[in-house]
Amino acid sequence: MSALGFWSVARRPKWIAVLVLVLVVAGIFAWLGRWQLERAVDDSRVVGPDTELAVPLGDLATPQHPIDSSMAWRRVEVDVAYVPGDTVLLSDRLNAGPERGWTVVAHAVTDTGASLAVALGWSADAAVAEAAQAALDDGVMNAALTTVTGRFMPSEGPQQSNFPDGQRSALSVGELINVWSTPPDGGVYGGYLALDAPPAWAAGLEAIDAPMPAREIEVNLLNIFYGIEWVIFSGVAVFLWWRLVRDEQLREQLRVQLREQDAAKSDT
Amino acid sequence: MVTFEPLAADVPRIRAWLVAFRVSAAVTGVFLILLVVMMIVRYGFHADLAIGEAAGGIGMLTRNEADPAGPTAWWPEGTINLSTIILIVHGWLYVVYLVVDFALWRLVRYSFGYFLLVALGGVVPFLSFVFEWRVPRDITARIASLVESEVSPA
Repeated sequence: MSALGFWSVARRPKWIAVLVLVLVVAGIFAWLGRWQLERAVDDSRVVGPDTELAVPLGDLATPQHPIDSSMAWRRVEVDVAYVPGDTVLLSDRLNAGPERGWTVVAHAVTDTGASLAVALGWSADAAVAEAAQAALDDGVMNAALTTVTGRFMPSEGPQQSNFPDGQRSALSVGELINVWSTPPDGGVYGGYLALDAPPAWAAGLEAIDAPMPAREIEVNLLNIFYGIEWVIFSGVAVFLWWRLVRDEQLREQLRVQLREQDAAKSDT
Repeated sequence: MVTFEPLAADVPRIRAWLVAFRVSAAVTGVFLILLVVMMIVRYGFHADLAIGEAAGGIGMLTRNEADPAGPTAWWPEGTINLSTIILIVHGWLYVVYLVVDFALWRLVRYSFGYFLLVALGGVVPFLSFVFEWRVPRDITARIASLVESEVSPA
């Protein structure tokens, strides 16, 4: 009896054509699975507030109150007047790179009278930072109210500073209050504002690196399950082709067997 | 002449799968009709079936496709989206229906075309009710003749 192999059946033009068809169908299924996974991500909902929409600072935080996670790292806008003579240079600061430099922090008073620390910008060059400090302290803003936008950041801890040497490197609001010559009579915001861009009169400064916080998202689990389902279906499509070829092979083997049996019978 | 026929030894298993098929066809068929209702509500009335106080117990609540948070984000908390449940349940019931169809195809060894035809029962409304009656009748006839030929060999 001649054994009829699986591949000798599978190699027939008919079954190759079926295989091509099956692979096309499996490809479509796989594409549908990919589409479902894309939808799972696209339909995902951001948990928590939209941190990128600038909101009035007064609506978000209250002076003399602690900052919680729903306020920190959100973009805000606020009308402020800078206080000359209270601008502080923080040394040894990193800003989106390996280089250490100076951060210029101004004392600003909002339109409601509360004090707010504003990080104007950063420079690797001490002269640039000092020029910005001098310009502000010389009254370049003339105590006029100006609208600023930036990211509201939580105050840093004071530990990084080396007070005895007159070096300050932590952007700690509590520490700054002690440095400011104008007392913050209207209360102080517990965080500081990192400006989106340095003011025009301090153009030599670079913007403070305050990126959008990592967002927590909820993916749509239903779409993920559908995605997995389509992958399984494309596997099933290929399996069905194998099953159909195997059936034909078995059927032919059976036919050959019967013919041989009949031949054996007529011989006797 | 022996052909590619179901095995007599498989007859009890075939009967068991036929019971599963009847149940599966009936349940899938009912959910398919619910699915049609749900689709009419969603694409005809731009609403979903909902359970909750806002829907007055059980009823329709509109979908707002323009809402970036999702079409049903405006629904009060605790409102159940019945449309989505129907969609999901029908999807899984159909998978079960296909598994039963596949098992019967292997055991009864009917043609691949018949397998595909039976598969349509889960997606063409009301067809599964026809199959629920027709398929067991066809298969029972097939295995009955098989048992008969075993009992009285030619």
